Amino acid sequence: MTAPVTSESAEERLQRPPAEVRYADELAALRAADGDPRPPGWQLSLRAARRFVVGDEQAGVSRKFVGNVSLVERALVTLATNRGLMLVGEPGTAKSLLSELIAAAVSGSSALTVQGGAATTEDQIKYSWNYALLVSEGPSSRSLVPAPMLRGMAEGRIVRFEEITRCPLEVQDCLLSLLSDRVIAVPELDGPQGMVFARQGFNVIATANTRDRGVNEMSAALKRRFNFETVFPIPDFDTELALVEAEATALLRQSGVTAAPRRDVLEVLVGTFRELRGTAGRGERMSAVMSTAEAVSVAHAVGVRGWFLRGEPGGAADVVASLAGTAAKDSPEDLARLRRFLEQEVPRRKGGQWQALHDARHLLAD
Amino acid sequence: MPGTSTAVDVPPRAAGSAVFLGVRHHSPACARLVGRAIGELRPAYVLVEGPADMNDRLDELLLGHRLPVAVFSHYRDDTRVATSWAPLCDYSPEWVALRAGRASGAEVRFIDLPSWHPAFAERADRHTNRYADAEARYARATERLCAHFAVDSVDALWDGLFEVTDGRDGAGGTDGADGSGSPDGTDSLGAEVDLRARLDAYFELVRGDAEADPGDRAREEYMASWVRAAVARAGERPVLVVTGGFHQPALRALSAREDGRVGTPPWPEVPAPPEGAVGGSFLVPYSFRQLDAFAGYQSGMPSPGYYQRLWEDGPHAAAQGLLRSVAERLRTRGIPASTADLIAARGLAQGLALMRGHAYETRVDVLDGLAGALISDDLEQPLPWTGRGTLGVGAHPVVVEMIAACAGDTEGRLHPDTPLPPLVHDVAEQLARLGLADADGPVRLDLTHADGLTRSQVLHRLRVMGVPGFTRVSGPSDGADPVLTERWEPGSASGREAALIEAGAYGARLDEAASVVLGERAQVAGTDAGPLAGLLFDAVLCGVGPLCDELLETIAAQVGRVPELGPLGEVLTAALGLWRHDRVFGVARGPLLGGVVGGATDRVFWLAEGLHGGPGVDFARLRALAAARDVLLHAPELPSVTREAAVGAAARIGRDPRAPADLRGAAFGLRWALGAPDDPATAVQALAATASDTLGDWLAGLFALAREEVTAETAGDGEPLIDVLDGVVSAMTEGDFLTGLPALRQAFAFFPPRERERIAERLLRRRGKHGSARSLLRTTADPLLLARARALEENVALLLDRHGLGAVR
Repeated sequence: MTAPVTSESAEERLQRPPAEVRYADELAALRAADGDPRPPGWQLSLRAARRFVVGDEQAGVSRKFVGNVSLVERALVTLATNRGLMLVGEPGTAKSLLSELIAAAVSGSSALTVQGGAATTEDQIKYSWNYALLVSEGPSSRSLVPAPMLRGMAEGRIVRFEEITRCPLEVQDCLLSLLSDRVIAVPELDGPQGMVFARQGFNVIATANTRDRGVNEMSAALKRRFNFETVFPIPDFDTELALVEAEATALLRQSGVTAAPRRDVLEVLVGTFRELRGTAGRGERMSAVMSTAEAVSVAHAVGVRGWFLRGEPGGAADVVASLAGTAAKDSPEDLARLRRFLEQEVPRRKGGQWQALHDARHLLAD
Repeated sequence: MPGTSTAVDVPPRAAGSAVFLGVRHHSPACARLVGRAIGELRPAYVLVEGPADMNDRLDELLLGHRLPVAVFSHYRDDTRVATSWAPLCDYSPEWVALRAGRASGAEVRFIDLPSWHPAFAERADRHTNRYADAEARYARATERLCAHFAVDSVDALWDGLFEVTDGRDGAGGTDGADGSGSPDGTDSLGAEVDLRARLDAYFELVRGDAEADPGDRAREEYMASWVRAAVARAGERPVLVVTGGFHQPALRALSAREDGRVGTPPWPEVPAPPEGAVGGSFLVPYSFRQLDAFAGYQSGMPSPGYYQRLWEDGPHAAAQGLLRSVAERLRTRGIPASTADLIAARGLAQGLALMRGHAYETRVDVLDGLAGALISDDLEQPLPWTGRGTLGVGAHPVVVEMIAACAGDTEGRLHPDTPLPPLVHDVAEQLARLGLADADGPVRLDLTHADGLTRSQVLHRLRVMGVPGFTRVSGPSDGADPVLTERWEPGSASGREAALIEAGAYGARLDEAASVVLGERAQVAGTDAGPLAGLLFDAVLCGVGPLCDELLETIAAQVGRVPELGPLGEVLTAALGLWRHDRVFGVARGPLLGGVVGGATDRVFWLAEGLHGGPGVDFARLRALAAARDVLLHAPELPSVTREAAVGAAARIGRDPRAPADLRGAAFGLRWALGAPDDPATAVQALAATASDTLGDWLAGLFALAREEVTAETAGDGEPLIDVLDGVVSAMTEGDFLTGLPALRQAFAFFPPRERERIAERLLRRRGKHGSARSLLRTTADPLLLARARALEENVALLLDRHGLGAVR
């Protein structure tokens, strides 16, 4: 017998605890100070939930989502109505983070999650059976294995449906009756157990990215049961730079790199990402994902290269080398776009690191 | 009415002091406050932020126009040209001050410097709106406020704090003017005191953060001198000062300062334009479309249509009206908006209002609700009201309709007794001077003569503004067109004056107005290269001058984003032709035209390097590359692409197996033309060996870019290209030759007849034959027909052979 581990040390071992654990203190403080009316079934009022997501310096609540406040507001109000919330956007725009934060704020738990994919079945969404019990006892509530939707409805909580558009269309459509009638019928069970009605507080946050399979194929019937919110890449250069700097610094520290990333190098890196993302107006988009998350990982790679290869923070040459592998991936068009950017656009930019980036263009493999 | 006789004005004041009312321009809440303050205070003087040179003509403003109208000011001297508008709508605090002040018997004065004054010169935009938000210039403070109140934009912040607040009965259109209070006077009194306090705090914050620029300080000094003069004359009665809230704290301090003079200070003098300068202010009709900040161009305020409704019917009705008009617009356009969607939108809007602490749904609440419920797609760009942006290209159709519904389509109209805008006089005077006033026959203009050119420019300016009267029937169609005369047909001049009065809002003089119109068209054209090329030539036809600069700058910025190579080539060819050769319009070597040329050249290389495609020759893109070549050869200082960079880019294009063959050939030719040739013989042989079907396309590209180099090629180290080609073509199988023939012919069509003859001679020589090369080129039948006949004969022979009938061959 080993000694029982305390919950704290168990958390420490987690790579990434869920939002309700990471921000347990903030949630508790917000709940305690929350004087505003709460929608039925909610753990926090709308305003407190907004503060939890967008932060409130005076109340000591950190800013967790960098983006439009009004988007968060619309998302929260939508969840308080009878429509689901659909977050769409490019990959890496923090859609899943936003849905996790909102679920943690509204229901106190972000654990009820369906991960959509080509192999997702209705069983994983609604319920399935413990077949051993089913064979020995027949259908009963004991042999029923509830899936996130059923649990969310029974407990009155938010259910997250990640990457909904990656599910087959017929599986997506099993949400139709569930979202409009707010009930799941379990025809195998008799009596009142055969109908699970949604309790107050239940709603669905779905996320879909616009790259794999957009929302266009989704049935109109399902579309109208959701309110759509597009999450955009961070519009402001400085905000994105600050975020990349903070995240990359933290990651580098975890990797044992003690040198902080150079700001001028990060500026060039973030500028390159914004340009290749198509936000800077040239209308030239990479087919690979050029999100802030990818920028952070390139910044991480740059720092690791510089530190472990040469014992320095990493420079523009490392940016080129890392971009080739991380951003351009295996698409020759992307590689050509990247090269064209380095050859034609970079020399026009002013600044030493841009020059260094241009000089390092030969590092891009042919 | 109870409560109306109570003094609204909270701060206790000494007799004869000034009451400062800081307002936000175009704010219904502030307008209402102004109306009430005038009703309560019965001031002796109402001083309003507005051009003081209009003071003699305030009656003109009150003739009974349909708003919006604008006070249009223009100025020109040797170094500076400026135009500015001070738009007034029903809910402008300045307008209410003017009207209610007059109605209450007060003396109303505009107290700001005239718009032409150098104090305004520091604003970046030459076409300015006097009543643009001052806050927009002090972004740091407003950003902090937005972060504190957790809103996205200063407009949303303002609405929530001031426009849509509790304790208001709403409709202000009627009581604003006569100054009477609302039906529930006591409630509204408390709310109003509260509103004033919040306004003051807000403007203190905005102002406290940033140092006013020298222009602001000069204006405030001047306004303060009016306040002091008015206070000295007002006796026991108060003086009401209505200015932008941004100026209010400074104005309060400046006016209290004693200037040490004894006795009543004189009224400040209205500065007159300096010697040799022309300037003035006039009333012109305006429109909500021009006022709407989302439409861009001039900084105004967003959504005038919504605020008009807010002013007339109150926040509740305005929100409902907005929802209704969006739904109506969507349904007329055939965009589905079901009842369920509208219920959801309404619910969302109400929920958002509750959450954001608004008493009624604000504009942004309604828009957010509609966007959430009606848009079930991913958006290409953020919702425009989350920032202070304009609608971009590719905005979602629902968003476009929402913005249009917010803007409204009201157009102002001047009272018939209003003096005509200066543009009308200017045009009449110019037409008379140039003998065009009552032309009864066609007008022929010789553009090489100064006189003809001037007349042509005037007629073109009228044409681009859509003023009826003259139609051009012939003349040069682009910069390279050698036509030097123009013919214009006079038509009916009916409607000309009406059109000019409307166009009066664009400027005081014909050239100014035409350049503003062209500028608006450039904004609309966006990155659409076709209209841009036309605009460029229109700008040249209308004549250059400082006012053309802005237009050229816009076009230079837009060509950097044109998405297609072919159309871009047209813009580049036109611009380069004008820049190099123009002798008629006087724009050759112009720096701004050079900017267009440079930007377009950079863009050509950017697009060419990413282009992929199949077989076929696209002459438009070859022309684009040829134009870029000419730029690099004749004007290398214009683009930021250097010759080396271009050579490098061409090498990459030439190597890219997915680039179309004609483009690869063109890239090869470009390197040759720029003096970095590869061996053409090797290239042709390699191509013939691997992909002989693309040879014709490739050669077309090569000849389009490097025809001269190919002809001038002397036998150097390698074999001359023509000989190599002859070898390759001779070695082709009959089938390959027949397939490739059309493309090859197309490629050689780039050579003029004389050069083709020389090539033919050479081919004859190579075969040791003598004869007329010319006759070789002048066949009696179409060579393609001959080729087809030959193919047919071949087929027949094969068929005969197969059946053992073709023994005799």
